Amino acid sequence: MAAPTTIAPARAGGAAAPKRQNDTFNQKDKPMQVRLSNIAAAKAVADAIRTSLGPRGMDKMIETGKKEVVISNDGATILKHMSVLHPAARMLVDLSAAQDVEAGDGTTSVVVLAGSLLVAAEKLLKKGIHPTQIAEGFQSAAVEAVKILHDISIPVDLGDREFLLKSATTSLSSKVVAQYSSVLAPIVVDSVLRVVGAASESNVDLSDVRVVKRVGGTIDDTELIPGVVLNQTAITSAGGPSRIEKAKIGLIQFQLSPPKPDMDNQVVVNDYRQMDRILKEERNYLLNMVKKIKKAGCNVLLIQKSILRDAVNSMSLHFLAKLKIMAVKEVERDEIEFLCKATGCRPIADIDSFTEDKLGSADLVEESESNGSRIVQISGIKNAGRTASIVMRGANQYVLDEAERSIHDALCVIRCLVKKRALVVGGGAPEIEVSQRLSELAKAQTGFQSICFQAFAEAIEVIPTTLAENCGLSPISIVTELRNRHANGEKHAGINVRKGAISDMLRENVIQPLLVSTSAIELSTETVRMLMKIDDILASR
Amino acid sequence: MAAIFDTNRQDSALFIGGSRVSGQEVRSQNVMAAQAIANVIRTSLGPVGLDKMLVDDVGDVTISNDGATILQLLEVEHPAGKILVKLAQQQDTEVGDGTTSVVIVAAELLRRANELIKSHIHPATVIAGYRLACKEACRFIADQMALKVDKLGQEALVSVAMTTISSKILGAYGSYFAEMAVSALSAVKTPDFRGKARYPVNAVNVLKVKGASARESSHFAGYALRRPFCSAGMRRSVSGPKVAVVDFDITKTRMKLGVQIVIDDPESLEAIRKREADIATERVRMLLAAGVTAIFSTRGIDDAYAKMLAEGGAVAVTRVPKEDARRIAKGTGATLLATLANLDGDESVDPATLGTAELVEQVRLSDDDVVVIRGASEQRAATVILRGANDYMLDEMERSFHDSLCAVKRVLESGAVVPGGGAVEVAVDIYLESFATTLASREQLAIAEFANALLTIPKQLSVNAAKDSVELVAKLRAYHSAAQNAAADSPRSALKHYGLDLYDGKLRDSVKAGVLEPAMSKIKMLKSATEAAINILRIDDMIKLLPEQQPEDPHAHM
Repeated sequence: MAAPTTIAPARAGGAAAPKRQNDTFNQKDKPMQVRLSNIAAAKAVADAIRTSLGPRGMDKMIETGKKEVVISNDGATILKHMSVLHPAARMLVDLSAAQDVEAGDGTTSVVVLAGSLLVAAEKLLKKGIHPTQIAEGFQSAAVEAVKILHDISIPVDLGDREFLLKSATTSLSSKVVAQYSSVLAPIVVDSVLRVVGAASESNVDLSDVRVVKRVGGTIDDTELIPGVVLNQTAITSAGGPSRIEKAKIGLIQFQLSPPKPDMDNQVVVNDYRQMDRILKEERNYLLNMVKKIKKAGCNVLLIQKSILRDAVNSMSLHFLAKLKIMAVKEVERDEIEFLCKATGCRPIADIDSFTEDKLGSADLVEESESNGSRIVQISGIKNAGRTASIVMRGANQYVLDEAERSIHDALCVIRCLVKKRALVVGGGAPEIEVSQRLSELAKAQTGFQSICFQAFAEAIEVIPTTLAENCGLSPISIVTELRNRHANGEKHAGINVRKGAISDMLRENVIQPLLVSTSAIELSTETVRMLMKIDDILASR
Repeated sequence: MAAIFDTNRQDSALFIGGSRVSGQEVRSQNVMAAQAIANVIRTSLGPVGLDKMLVDDVGDVTISNDGATILQLLEVEHPAGKILVKLAQQQDTEVGDGTTSVVIVAAELLRRANELIKSHIHPATVIAGYRLACKEACRFIADQMALKVDKLGQEALVSVAMTTISSKILGAYGSYFAEMAVSALSAVKTPDFRGKARYPVNAVNVLKVKGASARESSHFAGYALRRPFCSAGMRRSVSGPKVAVVDFDITKTRMKLGVQIVIDDPESLEAIRKREADIATERVRMLLAAGVTAIFSTRGIDDAYAKMLAEGGAVAVTRVPKEDARRIAKGTGATLLATLANLDGDESVDPATLGTAELVEQVRLSDDDVVVIRGASEQRAATVILRGANDYMLDEMERSFHDSLCAVKRVLESGAVVPGGGAVEVAVDIYLESFATTLASREQLAIAEFANALLTIPKQLSVNAAKDSVELVAKLRAYHSAAQNAAADSPRSALKHYGLDLYDGKLRDSVKAGVLEPAMSKIKMLKSATEAAINILRIDDMIKLLPEQQPEDPHAHM
């Protein structure tokens, strides 16, 4: 078992710095030391998640400081929970997060790639090449690599559902939900396509795809709901309805409870008749509101959460139930936008502006129970916005959380295709191709640039190597064979994980968005450049 | 300064605040943890399984035979162990039975997978094999082993209940409680709005009453509340009552916070006090005027108003648990009233919110007074009164009874059963072994191990019964092998129903002997066990972070 390796750079540095103050300027090897130490730290991060790359990658179990258990295969998630302390290693964690934001998938590859580039850089440093030159060399190599990727990419049309399904499947295949990819891939593709409006749109707002998680059942039971699913359940404690046909949906941002006087103010009663009035006033106040709601034709009421007042009280629920209005409370503020878009209603901030034109209408709002949990589903919405709702099921919270992350990744993959409509194949094929073409380019150049290109070309082979390793294949024989195939012009040859051999990835339907690959190369190179340019770590307050 | 990083680099460890274990080591640790969990409950499997006594840190004792209950009370530290505990709980909520076997199978699957991985088979291959095996096994159970209840008749239900009960504390009175479970559940049958019959287990009300022997437990149709009428002056029983279920206090009304009563005249003090009392009096009058003769309140009723009610010929029960109140309301067709307010802004009693029943009466049960509602108009309810020597026993009886209710419910809803006594496990084992040989890939090994892992159930059953597991299981395998190789119409194919008879140490036809289990429970058990095993197998790295430091309280040293 590895010993706990807690380090405290701040304290140790603070103690050592003053004594060596004069040495600092004399020691020539210090910048080198710093660089090597940074490289070592970053490499450690890359090594840590290496084994989770690819379809046969393994998961990590992380017990957080709060004793929560996270099981994940997603690079960004693992690193986020790892509480890495070394500043240089933190940069790789951020790198992974950046890839998550930009592309959503390939969060493991980007870190592995950065680690490999750093190893290459370390070798070059030891050869005596100046770090700035390495940084520049890598940068131009990355630019070339991206060009090559563009060159070998296959344009894709969003109308071609088959292609989208294949890329979603490829993304899902490395996750714990892999065997359910036939269920999940269509859900993912359909939900993104539903959200993308005009074919010309170049981005997708994934917040328009709602994922509702419920423990119980298996992942097989996950479904794309026609309509909207609410996170909340209907309030039935006062006997209110939980199924409304021909629903008129109102979304209110005020509360159906009696107003409370401020702390400093008091209602003063000095006659018994006033007591009756207070009680009656409260009833009338609520009754009037509920009646107004009913008058506008509303029969499903969504109430935004408020921290100041109760959303409803037993009295108003009683009235709502009497007038057959279904009530759902605890709608979060950040859900408002989604719900408005999805149901075609508009939020109503005040009872006086509660009018019919602000309501959304649907054929059916129903609370149903399956697999031990209840969900409220709105279906048959008229003039609905472009949104999608997915109800996820899983045997336990761990599986469910991991499945959600996988779905997110797959959604991002499809989003990437919307952003940049081109594909490359998977299975390490593009990396080998890039590597070979870069080597060619290296030969055409002279000086440090040539060496950097060569080093970059070799470094990028880490992806097929790791893929092979994780499948239990021999990396050397696989990678050399791949090189051979590519040299002979088979530019789609990649590692077939299922068969443990090399085959044409395009025919095996292993494809991924171009954006994932290009962004991985760009982001990792930039991080490496940054690390190269650091020549000192100082502890600051 | 750079030197400080060098020491860490030599460790080649990650720069994290915590510890990290990876590769084979973590797998072995996880498997060991799973093994440890399974070992705890191993001996409680089957009709001759024994119970565990669990004592918590304040000295509370629980005695149980139920896997989920035992595991829930254990303090499991290891994260992989926690997965198994969750697995048992999930099985408990989804199926209600088979919680022990699911954990044992999962642990066995893990152990065997670990052996395979140690002999250099990639975990991914093992996982693929397990998945395939699980799928095949479930298909096999559904196609070959499952029997329709319609063919077997009503006795099958009793058999299912009995099979579940037999392994529990109630085992000695198996048939008595099995019949009770079936008739109680049949009593609460309700169609949902699609017309499909539902059997809500929680509509069966279980009352635990100390004293007398388990044999004297009884059940009746109707709803029993463990509360007496709130005033001794009330009648003992009301026939054909009008029922109101209320969720408000019938006490002196108090003004809300923020309302201050300021008076400058002693006269008006009296008036206010009177008014406070009168508001409730009016409510009581309204209820009585509407013809209400039985009130179930989730809150309190002051003595003065209880007296008024008693004088008006009504009975009332206070502090009814909300869950019970809701069920009473549903059963009698009443509405749970949070307030009497009507749509005119005044207060009145709407006759539509009242329910009816045939009889509400207070009966004496051992030391307690219990209010019983019989013949509720809307929904039938059943009440089971469990009698036992002490609390521990009663708790365990309730759990056992609940398990059997769940089992019967599953059968009623899905309509299929499978023979018990290890018959399914052995049959699947034989089937998968022959299935494995049809595959010419590495998964073959994993499927064969999956098959063997299932044998742990019959083996454990016979070990717990102090029988020779090797001989019995071998014989059983021979039977099932013969059954599967025989033609469909040959008499040998009936051998597929053979299972263990753990009392005599023989083999017998489980279907004829009435040892039946819900098919759904078996399939679910296999699926969840495989899922959990795969979940753990996929882990090749465990990172434990140091517990978060509590920020120091600046006032602590004052």
